[in-house]
Amino acid sequence: MSRISLKVTGAQGQGVNSVGEICATGLKRSGYCVFGYREYMSLIKGGHSSFQLDVSHEAIGSSEMRVDILVCFNHHGLEKNMHEVKPGGVVLHQTPEWKFSKEEQARLEKQKITVVYLPNEKLLKEIGAPPILGNVLITSVVWSILKQDVALLKELVREQFGHKGEKVLDLNFRCIDAGVAFHVAHADTAAVTLPQADVAWHNCMLLTGSQAMGLGAVHAGCRMYVGYPMTPSSPLLTFISEIQNRTGMVIKQAEDEITAAQMMSGAMFMGTRAMTATSGGGFDLMTETLSLNGIIENPSVFGLAMRPGPATGLPTWTAQGDLLLAVFGGHGEFARCVLSASDSQDAFDLMPVAFNIAEKYQISVIVLYDKQIAEALYTQPLYDQTKATIERGHIVDSKTLASLKGTDRYDPAAKDGISARWLPGTAAATYAGQGDEHNADGSVDESAENAIAQMDKRMRKMEKLKTELPEPELFGSQKPETLFVGWGSTKGPMLDLLSKPAYKKAGYLHYTYMWPLQVERFTALAAQAKNVVLVEGNKTGQLGILLQQEACIPLAHRVLKYDGRPFFVDELDSLLSPFLS
Amino acid sequence: MTRIPLDNTGGPKMADYHHKNQCTWCDGCGDYGIWTAVKRALVELGIPPHGVLLCYDVGCHGNMSDKLQGYRFHGLHGRVLPFASGAKLANPVLPVLAHGGDGASFSEGIGHLVHSIRSNYPIVFILHNNANYGLTTGQASSLTWQGQPMNTSPNGIPEHTLNSMDFVFSLEPTFVARGFSGHIDQMVQILKAAIQHNGFAFVDMLQACPTYNQFATHEWLMEHVYDAAAEGHDPTDFAQARRIATDTSKRISTGILYQNTAAPSFYDRLKPREGRSTFAVDEVQKVDVTEYMKEFL
Repeated sequence: MSRISLKVTGAQGQGVNSVGEICATGLKRSGYCVFGYREYMSLIKGGHSSFQLDVSHEAIGSSEMRVDILVCFNHHGLEKNMHEVKPGGVVLHQTPEWKFSKEEQARLEKQKITVVYLPNEKLLKEIGAPPILGNVLITSVVWSILKQDVALLKELVREQFGHKGEKVLDLNFRCIDAGVAFHVAHADTAAVTLPQADVAWHNCMLLTGSQAMGLGAVHAGCRMYVGYPMTPSSPLLTFISEIQNRTGMVIKQAEDEITAAQMMSGAMFMGTRAMTATSGGGFDLMTETLSLNGIIENPSVFGLAMRPGPATGLPTWTAQGDLLLAVFGGHGEFARCVLSASDSQDAFDLMPVAFNIAEKYQISVIVLYDKQIAEALYTQPLYDQTKATIERGHIVDSKTLASLKGTDRYDPAAKDGISARWLPGTAAATYAGQGDEHNADGSVDESAENAIAQMDKRMRKMEKLKTELPEPELFGSQKPETLFVGWGSTKGPMLDLLSKPAYKKAGYLHYTYMWPLQVERFTALAAQAKNVVLVEGNKTGQLGILLQQEACIPLAHRVLKYDGRPFFVDELDSLLSPFLS
Repeated sequence: MTRIPLDNTGGPKMADYHHKNQCTWCDGCGDYGIWTAVKRALVELGIPPHGVLLCYDVGCHGNMSDKLQGYRFHGLHGRVLPFASGAKLANPVLPVLAHGGDGASFSEGIGHLVHSIRSNYPIVFILHNNANYGLTTGQASSLTWQGQPMNTSPNGIPEHTLNSMDFVFSLEPTFVARGFSGHIDQMVQILKAAIQHNGFAFVDMLQACPTYNQFATHEWLMEHVYDAAAEGHDPTDFAQARRIATDTSKRISTGILYQNTAAPSFYDRLKPREGRSTFAVDEVQKVDVTEYMKEFL
């Protein structure tokens, strides 16, 4: 596979994201698959952040640890990121009179790394452009290094700033021309060649996993969203709020996560589709509500965007550390379903699925996604909108309402434990959604027989659900000698690796449906494979713990990462290649 | 005054709200009176059991949840308000009544009370106010008087007693009323107005707890309450309402103390809902997202 990577670094608030985004859009329109990855710190201004674009004519879903082009807004990049530049790569910076150490200079020469200093302030002064246009200037130099069409860049700038008038636009265009002229005149040897473009990417979207999830929720008929700001779940709240005037959804930024979970649950109880999303700490606060929804058999949907804990942990970084929280969080024993998104495709696809499972089984569904998915930028074909269905389960139709008894609502004899559900306000017998242990109409009943009957009723839903959830998906070799097992954002770099010849005999078993856990396929593949390797973004191998519990197969080989960073494709290659036969 | 329809005029009757389960409250508990008043108010407004959602917090009052008909919900301690308001926003035409005790509402759930008042969710909140935690056997709440020996505070509470009405009025509520569990007729009138109020209706129901509250007893309350309307109180006068609500040193005002009918409710303020004749519960269907996808090209 032919791919290049471009990393823009700088302080937060300097324009790192805007340069990254404009390059991403331009490259996608030129016919490339772009994968964008952001690193930033938990602060608003300053710090050291980056926006990395990995670019290929083929489908990619990961970042490389080492880059072809490094752009440094300030000297911090020159100090911290130089070791990431590949031999033959290009460094573009704008720090006047910057000098590397003698050793570093020698290394750069040896590795044929070209360093280009862009006198940003001087050039802007010459054109008479304000400092804010420095971002456009630097973008145009990058564009020229990538040997891309200047007209396309101008078109993008027109789209973004056209509303500010011709005068502003003209100044922008002069910056672009100056940037390109500078590159040609002073640094034309600094160039990076992209693979041949593929026009198919031109018609793709460029969006984050959070935006994909938001679109999926809207598509699934979700009519209410309640959230409380917390990285990395906030981008979903932001996106769904931005489009609220068009979707007509009821949006509420609540006073805390308990409120968010309770409001969502109340709205679901009333009969609409509602969701909330949060991160680990917020989910901790929601677990009492999760338990409540278990006993009142209230459908509900929770997004759980994972970042490293414990406590505030690494608030702006990624992790897969909350799987067991999602599976076991909440007091008491109750039925639930846990799904996990892996990229912009299933972040969209899983939302209708989540709502359908929630309503069909009258249980809570938790959709896990890593910060990497929430904020990574994906090149995504337009979603196929014919696939999703709206399945509302046992909601009683209007003809049957009159014959209902209150005791139908929580009838312990109901097939598969799934009893009739009808909504407040409908002309029928009434019931209580009762948080105390209750009998069939929601009356409090503390008898031993009733406690057993109702617990058994609720837990029977898990048996039925387990028969309906798909097995994990196998990628790569269908008879793998080496079997990798993982979930979440790990899929991106795993699939990128599997296209390498060295991985011809390897397979990757990817879990999307995390709980109840299907283990038949895993068991069969593990029995045939020479090596089974668990790949997870956490310290304790949480999927491995579940697999051992459910399949009684211990996973001796574990590749675990818990430094807040996702698996980079080149890094993962070096971690996994020892297991290849 | 509208009386309970005794004949079969077609509207709902008290009997429609009857549930076979027997009440489990102590003899003399104020919850009996509030229970009766809620059913009467709904009947007098012509609301059948299937036309209301009654939400209960956890506490003695929560044991009402299976002692009457109506769509009901009995949730977590302190959390009834967000559940009730979430339900209401999904289907604003259905009356939603939330019940909570003074223990939960002024301790664990006080944040929800603050934000429910400032959000002006169009729901009724009935505060079952017996100035202690009854169901957990008589601990002091934030509203327990100083100097009262209680379970876990045999020397009285070291904390300051919260002035609940001053607190509520500081949040600029749009409806504040106070009733007394011994005066069912007045509670019915208050509840009818509260149900019809388009905003957050805070209804403080003073009630006896014969088992654990030995200070504000039924008799004591009966001797101290007075009907503010009978003394010419104007419920549109915020300053006066706050004064007579807060100062309970000699007498306790009851009735509708304050109402602002001009303030829009939370739902009315939602721009995305403007001009829509349906509600979130009517709108669950597959939505075409093409127009949003185009913006990512």
